[in-house]
Amino acid sequence: MSPSRREFLWTMGAAAATVALKGAQDVFWESDESLDVGWAPGIEERRNSTCLICPSRCGIRGRLVDGRLIRINGNPLHPLSRGGLCPRGVAGVQLLYHPERLAGPLVRSGPRGSGQWETVTREQALERIAEQLGSLRAAGRPEGLALLAGYSAGTMQDLWRQFLHNFGSSNYVADEYEDGTEAVMAVMHGIDRRPSYDLDRARLVLSFGAPLFESWWSPLQAFVAFANPDAEEESGPRFVQIDTRFSRTASRAHEWVGVRPGTHAVLALGIAYVLIRDELIDADFVARHVAGFEDFVDAQGQPREGYRSLVMRNYRTEEVSAITGVPVARITALARAVAANRPAVAVCGTDVAFAPNGLLAGLAVHSINVLMGSVNRPGGVLFADDAPVGPLTSPVLDETARAGVGRGPIGTQRPVFGSGGEALRFAAAVAGAEAPIEALLLYYANPIASSTDPSVWHEALEKIPFVVSFSPFLDDTARYADVVLPDLLPYERWQDAPTPTSYPYPVWGLARPLVEPHEGAMHTGDVVLDLARRLGGSVAASLPYESFEGLLKERTRGLFAVRRGMTLGGQFEREHHRQMEERGWWLPEHTDFEAFWDELVERGGWTDLFYDHTDPYRIAQTDSGRIELMPAKLLSALAEEGSELRPYLDVATQTAADSTEFSLRLIPYRVSTLASGTLSLERWLAEQPGIFPDVLWHPWVEVAPETAHALGLSDDTLVWVVAPRGRYRARLKVFPGTAPETVCAPYGLRQPDGEPANPLRLLDSTNDPLTGLPSWSSTFVRLEQA
Amino acid sequence: MARWGMVIDLDRCTGCAACEVACKSENNVAAVSVEQADMGRASSWMKVMAHVEGEFPDTTMHFYPRPCMHCDNPPCIRVCPVQATYIDDEGIVGQIYARCIGCRYCANACPYMVKYFNWYGPEWSEAERQHLNPDVSVRPAGVIEKCTFCHHRLQKAREDARAEGRELREEDYQPACVDVCPTNAIIFGDLDNPSHAVHTLKDDPRVLRLMEDLGTQPKVYYLRPRD
Ligand code: SF4
Ligand code: SF4
Ligand code: SF4
Repeated sequence: MSPSRREFLWTMGAAAATVALKGAQDVFWESDESLDVGWAPGIEERRNSTCLICPSRCGIRGRLVDGRLIRINGNPLHPLSRGGLCPRGVAGVQLLYHPERLAGPLVRSGPRGSGQWETVTREQALERIAEQLGSLRAAGRPEGLALLAGYSAGTMQDLWRQFLHNFGSSNYVADEYEDGTEAVMAVMHGIDRRPSYDLDRARLVLSFGAPLFESWWSPLQAFVAFANPDAEEESGPRFVQIDTRFSRTASRAHEWVGVRPGTHAVLALGIAYVLIRDELIDADFVARHVAGFEDFVDAQGQPREGYRSLVMRNYRTEEVSAITGVPVARITALARAVAANRPAVAVCGTDVAFAPNGLLAGLAVHSINVLMGSVNRPGGVLFADDAPVGPLTSPVLDETARAGVGRGPIGTQRPVFGSGGEALRFAAAVAGAEAPIEALLLYYANPIASSTDPSVWHEALEKIPFVVSFSPFLDDTARYADVVLPDLLPYERWQDAPTPTSYPYPVWGLARPLVEPHEGAMHTGDVVLDLARRLGGSVAASLPYESFEGLLKERTRGLFAVRRGMTLGGQFEREHHRQMEERGWWLPEHTDFEAFWDELVERGGWTDLFYDHTDPYRIAQTDSGRIELMPAKLLSALAEEGSELRPYLDVATQTAADSTEFSLRLIPYRVSTLASGTLSLERWLAEQPGIFPDVLWHPWVEVAPETAHALGLSDDTLVWVVAPRGRYRARLKVFPGTAPETVCAPYGLRQPDGEPANPLRLLDSTNDPLTGLPSWSSTFVRLEQA
Repeated sequence: MARWGMVIDLDRCTGCAACEVACKSENNVAAVSVEQADMGRASSWMKVMAHVEGEFPDTTMHFYPRPCMHCDNPPCIRVCPVQATYIDDEGIVGQIYARCIGCRYCANACPYMVKYFNWYGPEWSEAERQHLNPDVSVRPAGVIEKCTFCHHRLQKAREDARAEGRELREEDYQPACVDVCPTNAIIFGDLDNPSHAVHTLKDDPRVLRLMEDLGTQPKVYYLRPRD
């Protein structure tokens, strides 16, 4: 029974303002033993670590009271995030203390997906997994093991790869965020690495559909460049956002250029046209480092048009304007701005790459950087180094392993460039029984919720006799597992956290336990080491580490020995180090490894803020030694495939619906607060999902006022978003920034009952055959009142 | 005597809402159920509002992080029958939960709609209680709550300064939203102290205060977008 208001006030008065008390549900929290503070001043501590929620890997500083994590603040020593955080990072306390976190390992006790589980000990779970994996090796079929891994750059990824390799399987299947730029760099530069963008030193950032301020590799990198919080004066670059959707990034950029869907790359070539016509390109750079600009003779001895001819003949501003919907004067002005604000850098985003001809579109966008010489120069596209951590011990393969590895990865139909869509191809191969997978491990992957085609995954899972999930929560895919051995949450575990390649300097952030690890969970890194030990033989011999923490520390010796870089430090220290290294100096700050390690842990990581702009290998590693605008590899791949696609000619996606039934183009996008697309766990984030203050928790879609009017639908109506492949329910939001005839659909939301509301499930099955990336921009839908 | 105030640069704010979540975390602001949220009963002491103008493709959008304005002439305190809401000597408008009788007059009187009523007691699960900030009391059902400029931080900072035998410095007292903002869009300090950034910024030609014509004299200043 609730106390009456009077009783309540009385109790309040007696208990003084800060005492915790409890009547029924109504009142403050109970003065509960488990809180163990009784409001007495607790012991307060602040500890640096790294946020593991998204690839950005920002520096965090936890505020602890009596060993409980109370707040997550930014770590000002971290060079990428400089003390700032995004809301997801801040909400991490709700992840750590989430009521739905698994209490301990589970083993399935009913049919798959029935929700019947038996609680087991960690030992029992490990034994069960080791037994299954052991029998695969004993039967000489180690390649029957596969791992599906979400973003895990760093030692966890290295460890998994080594484990699989020693075990005898090549089935490391990545299920992570991609933006297609890896393939662009491989083709044009011959460099197998995603580009870095020196946003801090650029004067103009031309973003082609990159969600810089929302769900990019590192929103914090973009924020810091945008606001330049270290500088006294405001001197950040000018941001120009070229986007169909009037996104948060578009709204906050200095300029938004609304292009018709699928025509970003056409605009890029229109800009290139003006740059060439008005002689604004960096002719010297092009002459020295670029091939394929002028007409040339190809490998078969055929004369071919070069970049210049193709652009000058096909991308006159009037034509570009007609396709993109951007006025001629604006195109000219953009080109002039690029030339006047050097260094300018063009960033290619998912909206460009996730198209049927995404690679060709990406080439067109990046060609602006090449024309302007914004490669390997301050403020341009750079190729950063990885942090020079020490290697793992060398792999040891026994007979079984060698044979297994020799049989290669399954799903052999790989795209020519890049590895896009790998997870779905894997699932299709398993579902189609092309290759038997007998054990699947799920590490930060939840394809049932995130995949464009969960039904293929359902089929695949049915074919796999043994599935293990390491998810700390019983997520959509873990429900179909046989064993769930929950990983520790961030803030409880050791992990290295290198910044993503978009950042031009290596930062080896370190995440360390801020609170006591949960008893029911186990660090998946330690699980791998433990399994290796149980499997014995060469698998054990190649991973002779006591613990994951020990392994990390061992690798840190590489940083200690390298004679460059520094443990994280403040702005002054960073500048000092950079300037010293520019002059070829480096002063050791530690003679003792233990002291180095302690400082690295205390400060939250290591970095090296010097970039060598004189290294020619960071411009091109192609056979020609030049950046290839008409890449030989690409031309031969197209010829081999018998493809009709022509670089710089076929760069737009179909711009109109071909059916009257489905006439609105679907534009899916990631919401920054839920960018992982799989779980919306934290309640604070569910209360702040987007820009509409009145939409909390519920999935929504955005349409332009005239589109809503034409459909006779008003704001807040519940609608079905219907595509040929399926439908889902969402609230209609009328938003004046939305382009007519489009439906913008945030991805990563759920219905209040937990069912994923995933627009990706509606996508047609088109993909870019060259990169394997799905097309996000060629699906048309209709809206129906629900 | 200090007069605490805030300047928010609309050119720098990207609407990321880190401030909003940091505020909830710092001040133990409970999330409400989906049903309650649908009735508009979610609390957010700091709320990032979007202001959209124009039609496609000439749309503009700015984000206004909206805390309590800590009005120098606050209409909310005039209507409170039990003096549960008050303005202190340093201009911070506070709320005494133990005195509040839940009449919600103040919430109606506040033209900025920044007062939130607790229709139910906060629902913190056993696990979630672990992250509650012991510096800030949680609120029971039936009372109004609102932004306090993280007043508890001022008390702490003042004690620390006193213990160290020195004056309070600008950086000693900064609310949670200010701390976390990745673009440094929010600046906080003593409006009357010439050595504090807000002292100069409040006279910037770009300055704008919300609904100034009502005579509320808000101490939250916005720097309007340049364009
Ligand atoms: S941007 Fe990513 S890494 Fe940085 S605070 Fe947000 S979630 Fe964490
Ligand atoms: S944290 Fe800063 S940038 Fe983000 S919404 Fe708040 S004021 Fe704006
Ligand atoms: S903004 Fe509203 S709650 Fe805050 S002081 Fe002014 S009237 Fe009171």
